[in-house]
Amino acid sequence: MEILTDRDKDFFYSAMILNTKINFRTLKELSDLKLIRNYRDLSDKDLLNRIVRKESELKSDTVSKINGLLESYGDIEKLVKNYKKIADANRIEVISCLDEYYPYNWKKLSGMPQVFYIRGNYRIVENMTLSGSVAVVGSRNPSRYALYATDQMCRELGCKGIAVISGMAYGIDRQAHISSVKTKGGTIAVLAGGVDNIYPASNKDIYDLICSNGLVISEMPPGQQPLRQYFPSRNRLIAGLSDCTLIMEAGAVSGTLHTASFAASQGKEVFVLPNNIYYKNSWGGLKLLEDGGNVLLNSESVIDSVARAVMYKRLDLGCSKEFYYSDIAKEEFGEAIDVSVLRELAKVKPEELTDDNWKDIIKDSLTLKPLCADELCGITMLPFYKVSRLLTELELNGTVCQEQGKYSLTFV
Amino acid sequence: MASRPNVARLYSCFASGTDSTVALIEVSIAPGIPTFSVIGLCDSSIKEAQGRLISAFKSTGFNMPKGHITIGISPAYMRKTGSGFDLPMALGILFASGQLYLPPDARIYAEGELTLGGDLKGTPGSCIRLKTVRDMIFDYKIIPQGESCSAGLAGFTGQGITSLSELSDIFDGNRYTESGFISEAVSPSADHLDISILKGQEKTKRALLISACGFHNILLTGSPGSGKTMAGKILSGLLPKLSREEMADVYALNELVQGESSVLSCERPVRMVGPNITVGKLIGNALTLSPGEMALANHGILFADELPLFKTDVLDFLRKPLEERKVHLMKRGNLYSFDSDFIFLGTGNPCRCGMLYEKDNKCRCTAGDIRRYMSRISGPFLERIDIFSEMRSISGEDMASIYIDDAGAESPEYRKTVERCWQIAHERYGGNYLNGTFPEGDIRDSMRIPEKVVRYASELSDKGFFSARGFTRILRVARTIADINESADISEADVSEAIQYRMRNL
Repeated sequence: MEILTDRDKDFFYSAMILNTKINFRTLKELSDLKLIRNYRDLSDKDLLNRIVRKESELKSDTVSKINGLLESYGDIEKLVKNYKKIADANRIEVISCLDEYYPYNWKKLSGMPQVFYIRGNYRIVENMTLSGSVAVVGSRNPSRYALYATDQMCRELGCKGIAVISGMAYGIDRQAHISSVKTKGGTIAVLAGGVDNIYPASNKDIYDLICSNGLVISEMPPGQQPLRQYFPSRNRLIAGLSDCTLIMEAGAVSGTLHTASFAASQGKEVFVLPNNIYYKNSWGGLKLLEDGGNVLLNSESVIDSVARAVMYKRLDLGCSKEFYYSDIAKEEFGEAIDVSVLRELAKVKPEELTDDNWKDIIKDSLTLKPLCADELCGITMLPFYKVSRLLTELELNGTVCQEQGKYSLTFV
Repeated sequence: MASRPNVARLYSCFASGTDSTVALIEVSIAPGIPTFSVIGLCDSSIKEAQGRLISAFKSTGFNMPKGHITIGISPAYMRKTGSGFDLPMALGILFASGQLYLPPDARIYAEGELTLGGDLKGTPGSCIRLKTVRDMIFDYKIIPQGESCSAGLAGFTGQGITSLSELSDIFDGNRYTESGFISEAVSPSADHLDISILKGQEKTKRALLISACGFHNILLTGSPGSGKTMAGKILSGLLPKLSREEMADVYALNELVQGESSVLSCERPVRMVGPNITVGKLIGNALTLSPGEMALANHGILFADELPLFKTDVLDFLRKPLEERKVHLMKRGNLYSFDSDFIFLGTGNPCRCGMLYEKDNKCRCTAGDIRRYMSRISGPFLERIDIFSEMRSISGEDMASIYIDDAGAESPEYRKTVERCWQIAHERYGGNYLNGTFPEGDIRDSMRIPEKVVRYASELSDKGFFSARGFTRILRVARTIADINESADISEADVSEAIQYRMRNL
């Protein structure tokens, strides 16, 4: 087959990077010598042959790398064909650094992918340039508190039109996507494998949700398995794409910390949710705070930080119009699933919920702060006698305790 | 030879406390220097009758006879008080002096106070007196028309008069007509506060309902302005109307304290007492045997506002009457009892600043402050309270919806439930008992508590949800909840709800 279109050339590039020794240094050398205009020229077999002939001007390993490419050219062509098939089947698009709408934040950083793959609504990235974005990352096995904070933050930021970027892992990532997917800002999932490769597989529900309402991004070509070594690179992309990073919860050894250090080295602010010092899984985050991370007290400080970043971008892009987040009308909070589904159901068909469902709703309501029985009645729209019975049962099994007229979770 | 004095005999009655004694009044007029003496341990209100009699006789065309007038009231060893003897004394003088015809061997009952103009007025305690006299046989029974309300309630028959001049018609014209008295209760006023204004305070609404259904003592705590006093007023609107007998009880006591009133109310009494109340005021006056606030609250509500500020001796005194539902007065070795079967409704702040239950930790009290504040109410006293509920200030949103979208009155619906529950309880216990007032003892059978529910409750007790002493209280409240649900047996769910109305860490 012939590599003709720009799209084919982009596929070719991905396949080449993955399967040959050619890397961004090689590309830089070639373009410095004006042998190629950009990476797309490497798919031109004739040009490659011509370059090999100018052996004397090149470094020796560069020549061997290009020879290697020429040898495996046929295999790469096959791969490109395969990628195209998968991409067409899954409506996967390719974005190149040569495109006008390549993410602004990535343009400003070195080492970001030349091409990447998307599935979903790319407008989120376009809007994000001028309305900001945050990365929300954290533990895969978070505490209820961190989950709650993630939910609240993502909704509040999303409502202001700020995009939420995360990695579609379990725990915090999942909650971040759920909470922001229906908001004005939208949600972006950056995957370690190909865009069509749902990892972890059990997150298929939110993957579908993000594909239809948000955006899935990956630097890996379609069909590529998410390998262990790809995850740090993915974390770098998450940090790079966002204007600031929120660490909701991180253990002492955690990939989340990579994201934080990438963000810091890219000159972006890192906010860390303060957490219990006796809770092992929060040590990483607390260490970050000790090292000078910003304390995540409320969404306002994050919005301020994003607004600053957006202001510089606007100056750079020549948008004169001043920009305030308060201009964006506050929208209804988007809906999340799980307990939120129960809550919705409770409004429409309360008779379908079991006692355990109601207990889940009560527990969820008590996560943030202790509430009194009247407030619980208001939240659940249940009569007091029902709520009181549920509360006694929860008290009896030790989930909830009562103090000074208010009920709180015992966290046992 | 001394002439035989003319003696007239009449009967009247005097009340001491809730008891009353029939008195025989003898009037003798003997010739001699005009004197007027009343004998038989009478206080000055009776002795002063001379002035009233002279003037009243003059105003109505009679004469005070010239002579030695002696009036004896027996039993002579009992102290008597009150101006109700004016009419029998006047009648006696008129009979003895021959100004009125005394039918031979007639038994005459009379009571009432005279004005200088000869008009007749009722005196306090009429309800109690007339009830005693009701079943006795008299040929003439004459009372002031002003006591018709009491007479009607007591089932008394006789003739009511308004002036001394009507006596000539009765005795000289022989126009005595005996008839019953009609006392119609005025329909209850509709201006009770409606329970819907407690919007958002679901626990308190339910607590008030249960309290009304089972006659349970209740304590509401909350911040200033959260509507505690309002809740107290709402509770009285939830209770059923007074029955005929209850109405008589309530009226009799009120009449004893305040005197005759022509309005007969079927509303339950609400007695408000504040922190400055004394034990004496609660029990009543032992000297005059006038009932105190507890007796006056009988069949109704004793509303103690700002309970934690009450003096400890007052609170500790309250314990026994709350248990016995009676209050006793001791006078000269005699025990006088007043029924005091009421709902004790206490309100108070939960701590010094009152904000303990408010949102966002507004309370500035230290843990020690809070403990000290609540510990002013002693544990044994709190044990007698069945239901506790916390109140918070109503949120702006709820406040708006109360005033803007008028959801209509909810109290009538609640009252229907209360009436149904009372009926169920009366049928179950026989007599006028309710779940909160049924005497202590083996309540398990009478309240229909299955064994597994008792086990469940004791399991909860073991886990520290309530003390052993609160055990029967919980079961009583659970019984009321079961009644609200119209279920025959108490279930575990009822007990788990009842627990939410207990105060913890007693």
